[in-house]
Amino acid sequence: MTTVLIKTHEAWLEMLMAGSMSHTQNRQTLLDFSDILFRHFTWIEHEMIGTGEAYTYERDNIPVKVDRLDSILKNIILRLNELDLQLFGLKDKALSERISSDIHYMIEVLHGMNDEVVTAFAMERKFPGISLTQEATDALTIFLFEETYKEYELIMIYNYLKAHSDDAFLNRIFQILVDESFFHLKRFCDMAAKMGILAVPRVVMKELYQIEDVTQFLKDGIDEELAAKEECKRLSEAVAKDSPELEKFFDFINHQENYHIALMKDALAYFAKKDSNG
Amino acid sequence: MTVDTQVIEHMMNPKNYGNVAGSNAEGMGKNPQNGEKVLVYMRVMNNEEQPYVDDISFQAIGCTTTIVAGSMLTEEAKGLNLNGIYNLVEATLKLLEKLPDEDAACSEMVALAIKAAADTYMKRQEDPDYPVITYQIANNCTPKVEEEKNL
Repeated sequence: MTTVLIKTHEAWLEMLMAGSMSHTQNRQTLLDFSDILFRHFTWIEHEMIGTGEAYTYERDNIPVKVDRLDSILKNIILRLNELDLQLFGLKDKALSERISSDIHYMIEVLHGMNDEVVTAFAMERKFPGISLTQEATDALTIFLFEETYKEYELIMIYNYLKAHSDDAFLNRIFQILVDESFFHLKRFCDMAAKMGILAVPRVVMKELYQIEDVTQFLKDGIDEELAAKEECKRLSEAVAKDSPELEKFFDFINHQENYHIALMKDALAYFAKKDSNG
Repeated sequence: MTVDTQVIEHMMNPKNYGNVAGSNAEGMGKNPQNGEKVLVYMRVMNNEEQPYVDDISFQAIGCTTTIVAGSMLTEEAKGLNLNGIYNLVEATLKLLEKLPDEDAACSEMVALAIKAAADTYMKRQEDPDYPVITYQIANNCTPKVEEEKNL
């Protein structure tokens, strides 16, 4: 089952990248498919936990640098066909059939998609319609690399915590944080693609998600969110003169961090209450 | 960090990120202040003259600068014999002396992880079970102004 998990993980990210690089109506379909593949990933993970099979979130690097959308769609179709053949390894045959049915539909839709020119790797580092100073461009470049990875890392961490918890209160919090990070990841990938610097986030080291002390992780996470707020504030100020649109976007992300901090504080309070109740 | 085309290439596609199949020497560079770390995997092979790095990779808990430094330095390290590895580490650390602490810290962490992997390999020639060596960085990656503000 490990191979199925890894291949699904890779297909999910490759589909997400394909969606990020599309400029047409293909985009939303590809992003929706990436969401479906992520859900497959969580189901397979759930089955592995049920059967007691050890696993990690290791995967191979995923080459996505293409100049036509067709090229990556062909790669995804190959990957999905390979994945479909591996599904026999799943013990839950109903799950295997469900995933296989989704894969067949996705392959059919991908075959029918119109080709597009891809500019997501052109390294132009220019935002369409916005002229930024060199300093602001460099700051935005580094921010996008740091944050696309960070959001992916958070998705993996909260997903792992959720997969290994049967506590409804905590799982609600973890799920919201996964959803929030998905939104941010997609927005940052979209911005990176527009700047011509789209990249697949690197593999997350297992000690980051196989957390021994969740309360310490949450405390550190609150500090990180506070630092992210400062970074958003700095970026908002750096781009304000050239782009009120980007200024508002970074203010919006900054204010969203308050929400994440509140959720993490709720989780911490819950752990404290559980501890005091023995 | 100066953001030029070469740096962006390393950001978009970090070279040698991940594990090495058949790795026989690992080393860790660590920042004790913030928990950031770099783990280097090496597959060292023996030829007639002296051991050389057949393959090398790294993984990191760290910022983009660490990833760029890891990508660049592991590329440099690939194919070098162990003397070459020690020379590369020494030259890198010397170069970093000219930089402010906060700019040097991430690259120092990578250089020390490579040194730790080479040292682990040497130790394992006598004791095959020798554990992974870890070195801690001397530079501080928190900018001085920010540090004073936090006092």
